[in-house]
Amino acid sequence: MDFINNLLYNSVYNAAPILLCVLGGIFAYKANVLNIALEGLMLAGAFVSMLVAYLTHNLFLGILSAIVVCLLLGLVFSVMSVTYKGNVIVVGLAINMLVPAVADFVLKLMKSSNINLTWANVNDFKINIPFIEDIPILGSILSGHPPITYIAFLMIIVMAVLMYRTKFGVYVRVVGENDDAARSLGLKSNQYKYIAILIGAFCCALAGINLSMERLAVFTNDMTAGRGFIAIAAIYCGRGAPGPSAVYAIAFGVASALATQLTVSAGSAAALLDVIPYVIMGVVLTVVSITKRRKVKVRGF
Amino acid sequence: MKQSSLSSKFSGVSIKVINSLLPVLLAFFIGGIIIAAIGENPLSAYGTMIGKQLFTAKGLGNTLHYASPLILTGLAIAITFKANIYNMGVEGQMLLGAFFSGIVGSSLSTGNAIVDKLMCFAVGAICGMLFALIPALLKAFFHVDEMVVTLTFNYAMAKVLEYLASGPFRDAGAGYVCTPAIANSATFSRLGKSRLTLFFFIALAIFLVMWFVMKRTKLGYQVTAIGKNAEFAEATGMRVRCKIIILMLISGALAGIAGSGYMMSEQFRYTLDFSGSPGLGWDGMLIALLGRHSPVGILVASLFYSVLKTGADTINTYTSVPKEIVAVIQSLMILFLAVQFLNERFGLIERFKKLRAEKKEA
Repeated sequence: MDFINNLLYNSVYNAAPILLCVLGGIFAYKANVLNIALEGLMLAGAFVSMLVAYLTHNLFLGILSAIVVCLLLGLVFSVMSVTYKGNVIVVGLAINMLVPAVADFVLKLMKSSNINLTWANVNDFKINIPFIEDIPILGSILSGHPPITYIAFLMIIVMAVLMYRTKFGVYVRVVGENDDAARSLGLKSNQYKYIAILIGAFCCALAGINLSMERLAVFTNDMTAGRGFIAIAAIYCGRGAPGPSAVYAIAFGVASALATQLTVSAGSAAALLDVIPYVIMGVVLTVVSITKRRKVKVRGF
Repeated sequence: MKQSSLSSKFSGVSIKVINSLLPVLLAFFIGGIIIAAIGENPLSAYGTMIGKQLFTAKGLGNTLHYASPLILTGLAIAITFKANIYNMGVEGQMLLGAFFSGIVGSSLSTGNAIVDKLMCFAVGAICGMLFALIPALLKAFFHVDEMVVTLTFNYAMAKVLEYLASGPFRDAGAGYVCTPAIANSATFSRLGKSRLTLFFFIALAIFLVMWFVMKRTKLGYQVTAIGKNAEFAEATGMRVRCKIIILMLISGALAGIAGSGYMMSEQFRYTLDFSGSPGLGWDGMLIALLGRHSPVGILVASLFYSVLKTGADTINTYTSVPKEIVAVIQSLMILFLAVQFLNERFGLIERFKKLRAEKKEA
């Protein structure tokens, strides 16, 4: 019973940052600018929030500056890839490399291998819902999580509404489907791409804050551990639709919860569970491509 | 008339050089600001970083040594990028090649120096090719986006190798996670005082072969043609599907050889930070971008990059600047390299003229 309760709790816990990255990334995906930089942006959120909170002893200031820095990085990404038409993947990878490099540099200057908020108590961040926390299985799913975890799950609905029920969502999708057509209708397509990327940056900032500040009050430089790429796998599996992408994100969260849970009993082989998201992505991409290409009848390549 | 022919000449080679140099200078400039901000003189810091690597015999040897795998990973990326196929999985292919050549070098050693090394290289190349074959087949037959698949599979491969190194193939005697060291007969011995080994000359030989392939053969021409317009290339009778698979296999083989060479000349066993941070495959991408996908450019870029990499340790010992500054400069370079500052087709002078004309009209 303990095993199941822990597993369920950890699944929700592990799914939250992936989910936030996915929900941030889908707009960029739909606008046809693949945001590879999710990983770097998330790390930036984690790093800046902890650094500022450590220096100023103010959690709120930390959160605020993390969001600002992530938006600035998102702006750099947009300027380089949308306005100056750089290779999106290369720009994204550059940001993915820049953030840990800067974090490493600052940590070296601080002569420390991590940032630790000794004065903050992580248990204070957890929201325990009365009554529900006592229900055996439901309690570990619904109660005892930090605020951003709840925000992450609420975001599924917000993003679905934003994408399918607002003008903005429609325009972003039009821009992604056919840039020239969107422009001929008078849409400022670059503007929509910028906003799509910045939404992603904001969500990644939240994911980063969730990872470092809310859960552990500790920052180490490898703490994002490829979650941004798992998120990209989830986005591709769900074809950028908020609902299905979120389902994949949660499924991958369960897989990584299982991986940590089973490490005790199965040893290092449990780490192989982390490979599952990528394999699933490969299969889904192939199946989608096959069904799409079936109608295309062109000779050769 | 005279002026335009002059400017078109100018726009050829030198615009390419400027496009590569400008990001480097910009990155160094921002790095200089950071160094100045922590109270050191940026010029003298850069001076010690670069001077020691180029103007001492030992430093130069080390530079050449660390450039050898980078030449190969740079070529591995360039040959696919040039055809507009994006093999971002060089890092994973390199690691897989290195891992299994390490296993073969330690457990299947025959004792003969040449046989062992050839065997390791072969295993490395085959592993790299096999791992590259998956995205290649998916791309060629099902049109699956190879960029995403290769990119994310790197992380899957890192996890798999982490499991293999800490589980089945772990060296039980070592206090940390690693595979057994390769046999003496499979290691390249150092030539002279520096770390330089025969591997550099092997890399150089492969470079010459690749230069010939890319510049002087039908395949090289087809790579350029496919890169410019894949549909047109198909229409003129090049079998694009087949070429994609061949290119990815070449790329994977180069990556695998880079990995096994690095294993035999530098690391001798697989550890979890085998290729360092940010990793030889990612370095290779920087080099391919810096060299603008041309073989000679890649050779120059990998030497330059190797100076930076070895210079990181010098800067750490001789100044108070942490060596992590080099990683910052490197990532800034990639960021700026993604954008073409000057248009290679229209040239600098035409651009200014156009701007002027537009201003006059307004």
